[in-house]
Amino acid sequence: MNPVPHERQRWIGVLARARRSELQPHEAALRDIEYQLIRAPEIGMTLVRGRMGGNGAPFNVGEMSVTRCVVRLADGRTGYSYLAGRDKVHAELAALADAHLQGAQQRHWLDQVITPLANAQAERRAQKEAETAATKVEFFTLVRGEN
Amino acid sequence: MHAQLLQPAFNDPVLDAQRGFRAALKALAGPGSIQSLHASPSLDGLASATYGLCLALLDADTPLWLAPSFDTPVIRANLAFHCGCPITANRKDARFALLAADDLTDLSGFDHGNDRYPDQSCTLLVQLPDLSGGAGLAWRGPGIEAEHCVALPVADEFWREREQRNGFPRGLDVFFSVGHEVIGLPRSTRVIRTHQEPV
Repeated sequence: MNPVPHERQRWIGVLARARRSELQPHEAALRDIEYQLIRAPEIGMTLVRGRMGGNGAPFNVGEMSVTRCVVRLADGRTGYSYLAGRDKVHAELAALADAHLQGAQQRHWLDQVITPLANAQAERRAQKEAETAATKVEFFTLVRGEN
Repeated sequence: MHAQLLQPAFNDPVLDAQRGFRAALKALAGPGSIQSLHASPSLDGLASATYGLCLALLDADTPLWLAPSFDTPVIRANLAFHCGCPITANRKDARFALLAADDLTDLSGFDHGNDRYPDQSCTLLVQLPDLSGGAGLAWRGPGIEAEHCVALPVADEFWREREQRNGFPRGLDVFFSVGHEVIGLPRSTRVIRTHQEPV
């Protein structure tokens, strides 16, 4: 019943990075169950911290808005979502999906929702990386006439 | 995790928390007057008003001491989830304490604040079975025009304990709650027996 933690981390991440328009086709299926909102979708701020070069001392980058939501299905499964931005519908759908994914029909939901979303995200990322790579400039130094 | 134990709290977290805070302010500003708090549901052994005060007042900066009768997995899980308050076993560290009527005979260990920072004292949230039915006492002091007769069903020892710990400006502020109702008892209120002898 309990999913392996890193697997759940992965699908929560995929749901958070998805676009609302990609989740909305599943809205009817996700909501087709008895559930209650333990924490109704709410918008807040969180402080983003970074490290210079990835390993320096931490510094505050700035604040960003986040939306979070917790739902519980009638059978006691709870679904959580935290995502960047201010989209309450997205937060509720993502929490519902997390709850569904912890149940007996996990395979079905993984195939129907998570895999297509993950593929779309990988594609967007690859495209962005390709675009970025095309603008890469190699700098080199001319030999100074010291010899 | 105790995800199965979680229950919904306020319907409208922002406005309901503000209503709870407002009721708490009015309760302390007018000691002995009954304020009503309808916003929150009840939880396990916590009445609606008690839980509403917890949701409005507690957060990550306010360690809470729980009386043994309230120390249940459901209460712990929901307070941790909705308030995010640390729960302490040490009375000295607590900013708030959740007590039942039986716990009032021993108030030792709670922080009374100090002369420089009297506001750092521990605030007691006391859940009673009823707001009347005890010995009738006269409450006097700031926020009361002449005298308020309040008959809280609490043991005499509570008034002695309170008196011992009341070195103004230090002292303990108390909220008594029953069902949907709250009565505040700030440290500045003098409590007198009806036949004019101080308790």
